[in-house]
Amino acid sequence: MKWHIHAALIVALCLGLFCSLPAQNNQAQAQGRTMQEKITVLSPMGKPPVIVLKPMAPRPASLEGKTVYLVNDGYLGTDLLLGEMESWFKANMPKVNVVYRVKGGGGFTAEDPKLWAEIKEKADAVVMGMGH
Amino acid sequence: MSAVVAHCINIESKLNVPTVPLITSEFHTQVKTHHTIQKGMPHLRVTYLISPVWGKKTERLRKEIVMKSPVSGKMIMQEIVEGLTRPLSAEEKKTGTIEPSAGPDRFTDTPDNLQRMFMEKRMTDYMPVILPTEQKVAEMLKGTSHAPDEVVGKMAAHTAMGGEDNVEVFEHWSYTVKTVAINAVMAGCRPEYMPVLLAVASTGKEAISVSDNSFTEGLIINGPIRDEIKLNYGLGAMGPFSQANSTIGRAWNLLSINAGNCGRVGTTYMGTVGNPMNWNNVIIAENEKDSPWRPFHVRRGFKPAESVVTLCEGWGVLSAKNSKYSVWQKEMDFPGIVKRIVNDQDGLFGALVVLNPTVAAFIKEAGFDTVEKFTEYLLAPAEGQPAPPPPKLPDSKGPAPKGKMPRFGRLQVNIVVTGGSNNNYWSYGGMACRQSVPIDKWR
Repeated sequence: MKWHIHAALIVALCLGLFCSLPAQNNQAQAQGRTMQEKITVLSPMGKPPVIVLKPMAPRPASLEGKTVYLVNDGYLGTDLLLGEMESWFKANMPKVNVVYRVKGGGGFTAEDPKLWAEIKEKADAVVMGMGH
Repeated sequence: MSAVVAHCINIESKLNVPTVPLITSEFHTQVKTHHTIQKGMPHLRVTYLISPVWGKKTERLRKEIVMKSPVSGKMIMQEIVEGLTRPLSAEEKKTGTIEPSAGPDRFTDTPDNLQRMFMEKRMTDYMPVILPTEQKVAEMLKGTSHAPDEVVGKMAAHTAMGGEDNVEVFEHWSYTVKTVAINAVMAGCRPEYMPVLLAVASTGKEAISVSDNSFTEGLIINGPIRDEIKLNYGLGAMGPFSQANSTIGRAWNLLSINAGNCGRVGTTYMGTVGNPMNWNNVIIAENEKDSPWRPFHVRRGFKPAESVVTLCEGWGVLSAKNSKYSVWQKEMDFPGIVKRIVNDQDGLFGALVVLNPTVAAFIKEAGFDTVEKFTEYLLAPAEGQPAPPPPKLPDSKGPAPKGKMPRFGRLQVNIVVTGGSNNNYWSYGGMACRQSVPIDKWR
């Protein structure tokens, strides 16, 4: 008899537990939550390169008597902008020797070894425009 | 895109000459948080101008160069002089190396949280992705015989059109076969697409260009792989009507964003108005079967049995029906219509002509039995039309042509045939097709 009572209690408990699970899920779903297992995924990122810090060039104490190159990289409007800057130097810092150059090479990113050589030889400073 | 920064850093570090690069203020974030750091000179003395400069008259520029910079608040000309003369600080003299990290190689969380995290970390195109579990990636890797850790290539947010004689503006990130597979899973690809994706990835060409022009990219796919992976080249060929057409371009995008560090608005993406074709790029599988001409890849020196992908770049494509020359007539002069449209294209990218099979057949019937003959016709000056201004090429010689003609050469006219034969519609656009690469070596 005792055995029958214990068995009945166990069955009743199991039934209760079984019935309550969907109710809990429904409650979670009703609250906008879903029962999700955690998973592991792989990163899609590539590998960035190492950055090498480069030294900046030492500055002159003043631009007086120095040669400043105004270099146009070819972007629209840069000629007008640098023209105005050249005029400003002449009016406000007449002792600065201003040289205007257009970077060659056919494109903003193109190298111009001839101009770089000239700058290395003759320029004390460079103003280059225009990043747009 | 600030090539000026890269040039100035080279002048400072290689020529030992002080510089001040001039940049418009809208590019401040890109230059300050990306270019100068990536190029190894985080304290480069940049002067930011009142944006934009292009389009302003000299009187206005004269006033603006003595106004305050919108970034520093200093008078622009004074800031330039100060930038060239102020002694270097200890920070500015620093040398050494920095090893950036792209973050952990895996993430663990619930699927919903991972979807959210992928978007927040900007590892998606803002559309849901297939989460790249180890199992799904392993399945994807079955699409190639290449080892997962094999380095496929490197990519930057901008590929200079002139090649190696150009200063590198953006840093190149590297990636492996496994990286390509992970992004392919995310895009919804099937393993059999891997050879196409790896061929594209091996070029290092970015799918999302940094340019403020809002460029888009394109792929022209030829050879047996089109049928093997069920690329659609019939009705709706350029639309989202097959899994391969819909996901290959997206995978290229995701690879560019994640493995090439492209498409990050404000730093590696500056497209002024953006381009809706950036979602999937222009994906074209040629309808070789119904084309009256030799396939596109064969005309580029490959064998018919080879599978080849050609990479294109430009403004995108649109229906030729949008052109003023595409008039409805009882007897259509298709060669003439194509010629007049091609004549009007800009010289930067030339013209990509995407003909459907019936229009291509009409053109062949008009006497152009090869694409080469048709291209010669397209490039010849047109009688009875006003001549364009002479090309502004430094090496151009001789008198200006008498008739209207394109402002570009033979290599910049690309003709491909795709789509259905249900009507006489076709598309065109300013897109250059600069490189074709074999797919089969990536099987």
